[in-house]
Amino acid sequence: MIFTAPILVLLALLGAPLFTVIAASAILGFYSSGVDLSVVAIEFFGLAEMPILVAIPLFTLAGFLLSESNAPGRVVRLSQAVLGWVPGGLSIISLAVCALFTAFTGASGVTIIALGALLFPALIKAGYDERFSLGLVTTSGSLGLLFAPSLPLILYGVVAGVSVDSLFLAGLLPGTLMVILLSAYSLWCNRGTHIPFRQVSTREIFSVIRESAWELPLPVFVLGGIYSGYFAVSEAAAVTALYVIIVEIFILREISLRELPRIVRDSMVLVGGIMMILGVSLASTNYMIDSGVPEKLFAFVNTYATGYVSFLFALLFFLLVLGAVLDIFSAIVLVVPLILPVAAQYNMHPVHLGIVFLAAMGLGYLTPPVGISLFIASYRFERSIAEIYLSTLPFFLLLLCSVLIITFWPWLSLFLLN
Amino acid sequence: MKSRRNTWLKQAKQFGYWAENFFILALVSALIFLSVAQIILRNIFSWSFSWGDGLIRLLVLWLALAAAIAASRDDKMIAIDLLSRVLPGRWKNFVTFLTNLFAGVVTGLLAFFSWTFVEDSRVFGDTLLGGWPAWVCQIILPFGFAVISYRYWLFAVKKILDLD
Repeated sequence: MIFTAPILVLLALLGAPLFTVIAASAILGFYSSGVDLSVVAIEFFGLAEMPILVAIPLFTLAGFLLSESNAPGRVVRLSQAVLGWVPGGLSIISLAVCALFTAFTGASGVTIIALGALLFPALIKAGYDERFSLGLVTTSGSLGLLFAPSLPLILYGVVAGVSVDSLFLAGLLPGTLMVILLSAYSLWCNRGTHIPFRQVSTREIFSVIRESAWELPLPVFVLGGIYSGYFAVSEAAAVTALYVIIVEIFILREISLRELPRIVRDSMVLVGGIMMILGVSLASTNYMIDSGVPEKLFAFVNTYATGYVSFLFALLFFLLVLGAVLDIFSAIVLVVPLILPVAAQYNMHPVHLGIVFLAAMGLGYLTPPVGISLFIASYRFERSIAEIYLSTLPFFLLLLCSVLIITFWPWLSLFLLN
Repeated sequence: MKSRRNTWLKQAKQFGYWAENFFILALVSALIFLSVAQIILRNIFSWSFSWGDGLIRLLVLWLALAAAIAASRDDKMIAIDLLSRVLPGRWKNFVTFLTNLFAGVVTGLLAFFSWTFVEDSRVFGDTLLGGWPAWVCQIILPFGFAVISYRYWLFAVKKILDLD
């Protein structure tokens, strides 16, 4: 194992599909302990024993369908009509709408593609600075990770064995903190700029409300249903998927039946990638726990981090580095089972760990070398990565502050649970 | 002769793409239909199919494999891909060959181990969903991994012959 580990890491860095690298490590691990290797398949079959997993494909499909329809445009028009009169309103609208949209689309960069293309020109037209607008739109792709029904939250619940409902509750305040901090910065940034007030007539407000009448109930019944405990998460996913299909295909007819197979395929390709990693990691995690990796990790951490606070600093540093090289889904599946027992030794609540984990990993979207939001924004707005990176820097630093607050103030994540 | 073979290959490729899409669409539809049916039955009639939840979980597994087959065709499996981006062109081809070969071998092994798992479960007569032979539900594992493995071998061979 000592010789094979660096080779596997090298293969991963060279671009071998991550699930094959994890599978290889599980196969080698079980082989060296003399266990029959069909155990890898038995563990993989464990995917069929997790009731919550059904939420992953169904929410992803709903998010993809929404982003392919004209829903993003309607949401922006509606928010503009309702909140456009607030000075600096459009920047706040952009942040809030992007957070909501990211929560629904599973944080896969879809937000920047679907909403950024509408919001960026709207911000410029309204008189906002170009670099500011670029940074705002790029950053908002990673907001919303902490709101229900975001895919990373669900996946964390599955992997850590924590109730997804409590994660949805726990994410509310920290997620709101991020949106508020960025909104305050946006207002402060544009305090000297004269951005004309937008006069909105009541008639206009009514017309955009009527336009969005079909999508408006969606966040209400999905979030309301989940938060009130009326729907289980997997049930909410099924109802959402069916509702979105009926509305976008049969009522509004913005997506034709002919396009449906392509959209379903595109959304499921993402799901397939996540599930493969999850399936093989069920086997590799089992091997690592059997061979006492978490205990060794704890002993290692303990030599450097002597108390809770120093552990939190070490954890945060580790997560920021991890977020810069690994996508959020792989990171959850691979790392959470290992750090969960370590955090427990320091009496860190698993729900708080989840919120810290996702908040820190969300920053990874904005850090080179793999920050996916940087690449997508660079591609979408035809700017160099360096330019995008510089424009997101102030937003990144603010998000970093909020991650620090979330990490060292567990009350924020745990208050609603009590 | 060559062009005829090419047309045949093209048709086979199109059929594969179509079959994948159909399979995925059918599984997703079944998943939505069954999930919503269970909710309606449970809330209105205080009754639901006893095998319903088990079948939903199995459908998710089947969908995962079908989607993974599609992801491997589109070469969109999650990967880190940090070093290969900075490698010079000549090396890039070799590295892609190597990583695809590795993926082909590993998924081939996964297919083989899944096959022994399914075979064991058939011999022992395991059942699922209230009486169905378990191997019928599990057969997607060796099949899915075998198709994915085939795909990576194909990628590797294409790379070494420089067919792309």
